[in-house]
Amino acid sequence: MTLTQPNRPLQAGGEEPVLRMQDVTKRIGRKTIVDKLSFDVRRGEIVGLLGPNGAGKTTTIRMMTGLIKISAGDVKIGGRSIQDHFKEAIVHVGGIIENPEFYPYMSGYDNLKQAARMTDSVDEARIMEVIALLGLQEALHKKVKAYSLGMRQRLGIAQALLDRPKLLILDEPTNGLDPAGIREMRDYLKKIAHTEGIAILVSSHLLSEIEQMCTRVVVIQNGKLVTEHAIGESGNAGALPELRIRVDKPDAAKRAIEALENVRVTEVRETESDVICQAADADMPELIDALRRAGVAVYRIAETKKSLEDEFLQWTGGNQIA
Amino acid sequence: MRNFTRLIQNEWLKLTKKRSFWVPPVLLIVISVLVTVMLYKFSSNVAEIDSVAAYLAGMVGASGLGQFAAILSVVGTAGIVAQEYAQGTVKFLLIRSRGRGEILLSKYTAAVMYTLMMILIAGAALYVSGGFAFGFGGTGAQWLDVLRESAYGFVYSLVYVTLAFMVGALTRSTGVAIGAGLTGSMFGGIMIFKDFYKYVLFPNADLSVYGTAGPPLPGMSIGFSLIVLAVYMAIFLAAGYTVFRRRDVA
Ligand SMILES: Nc1ncnc2c1ncn2[C@@H]1O[C@H](COP(=O)(O)OP(=O)(O)OP(=O)(O)O)[C@@H](O)[C@H]1O
Ligand SMILES: [Mg+2]
Repeated sequence: MTLTQPNRPLQAGGEEPVLRMQDVTKRIGRKTIVDKLSFDVRRGEIVGLLGPNGAGKTTTIRMMTGLIKISAGDVKIGGRSIQDHFKEAIVHVGGIIENPEFYPYMSGYDNLKQAARMTDSVDEARIMEVIALLGLQEALHKKVKAYSLGMRQRLGIAQALLDRPKLLILDEPTNGLDPAGIREMRDYLKKIAHTEGIAILVSSHLLSEIEQMCTRVVVIQNGKLVTEHAIGESGNAGALPELRIRVDKPDAAKRAIEALENVRVTEVRETESDVICQAADADMPELIDALRRAGVAVYRIAETKKSLEDEFLQWTGGNQIA
Repeated sequence: MRNFTRLIQNEWLKLTKKRSFWVPPVLLIVISVLVTVMLYKFSSNVAEIDSVAAYLAGMVGASGLGQFAAILSVVGTAGIVAQEYAQGTVKFLLIRSRGRGEILLSKYTAAVMYTLMMILIAGAALYVSGGFAFGFGGTGAQWLDVLRESAYGFVYSLVYVTLAFMVGALTRSTGVAIGAGLTGSMFGGIMIFKDFYKYVLFPNADLSVYGTAGPPLPGMSIGFSLIVLAVYMAIFLAAGYTVFRRRDVA
């Protein structure tokens, strides 16, 4: 399978975010469903839009794509306002909003052709390219009503990618997928971000489902921004990794480790016989030597990661539905 | 223009790829043939019909098969907007770099094409069956009548297709749209002898009445009816457009 590079010129410098949300607000009646939401998404990023059920994720995405009116604030896509220059802004966007819906009595291919006819620059070769990218060859000429949800999700992503968007917006793309399907989805989104070189915004109410693929998460609750959080490869950037060392004699281990210069013991858990400490990779050989010299038997060494899920629940105050 | 043609192509494919697409045309053909057979066998004034052209001119309008063509055109096209909402595909349609106005207009164009197709099908079915019954002939003047009556039949269908189109765009319900179109076409037969009624849509929809008898109500003429119809259709389309363009799509 060969993939061509996106043939739209790349933005020089890349200062301009692909998506810019500026105090976006939606009021329905007297209720404020989305309240002054601001965040950016840049090229190459995969950003998660997280929030419990009813937080306003779908409403936010509907405003981004011009499906519903914005009460206050503005959405800029590729520098163009979705309100004032709808066509110029939306041309950069591919998306699935809520569920991937298609004409059930048409084949997957015919549905893609429908999408292709609504844009200016999609030829047959491009259609075949996205079909290959998402592995849809087998199901291509089956009627969509015979598709499984996982296949419809893929077809949804295929139609979203057709016109080589700069921004891919996916509302709960893992909804209804089984664990294997979720992993598969994650894998090809990462692949797409890489091969197509685009920005992706994925909404979800489950952090664990998108944590592994996002570079950043934006957390909202009751329509308000709660926090933005970069997801690094190993927790907080700059901080030393935290290690859990299981030994036979935790007290002796603690004394031996504390004698070292650059290592700090943060906690001793007597019940599990664990010593928790922070150490740079470079200090580890010395630490292990020191334990051996002190006659401490080491059973396991593991890096502790505070689960982002825990933090997420903390940010949104448990799991209650707004 | 090429862009717009491709939108129309999309809409036409959405209509024709459904398996149920064949039902209204086939029904129309069956009814046309049946009516011809019945008339030929059981009607006493068949002797007055000397050619297929005379038969066609009398049958293709709203007082003949044109009524069925109108009803079946309404049934075939009423869902063209509402179905997108019902299937959820309206989101798929509206997040493209095309204006909502263009999309609605492409849908209306497809509905007009469908209506035209139905009149042509009625005409073709009547021509073939009538030709066997009365002989494939006709004078030039008779064929001109056929053309005029077909055009009137088309206008009659289009009035109610446009009404149903608007109602479908406003209510997002295929059922309500069909109901509105059919109820409207039934009102065509009712005449209220009051002056205001000549400004109502229904007595103006069938232009063929001017050929046979005098005007249905005093002060009406074919030009008058054409203006009334144009105003109503413009209002229907403007209402549909205004609502479709501004509505939040949830
Ligand atoms: N048309 C509407 N009228 C009134 N309230 C609405 C409307 N649409 C959405 N809401 C309310 O706005 C809130 C946010 O809804 P939204 O669908 O955006 O949430 P969400 O974050 O996508 O949730 P989920 O995870 O369940 O998909 C909900 O409380 C919902 O009841
Ligand atoms: Mg949602």
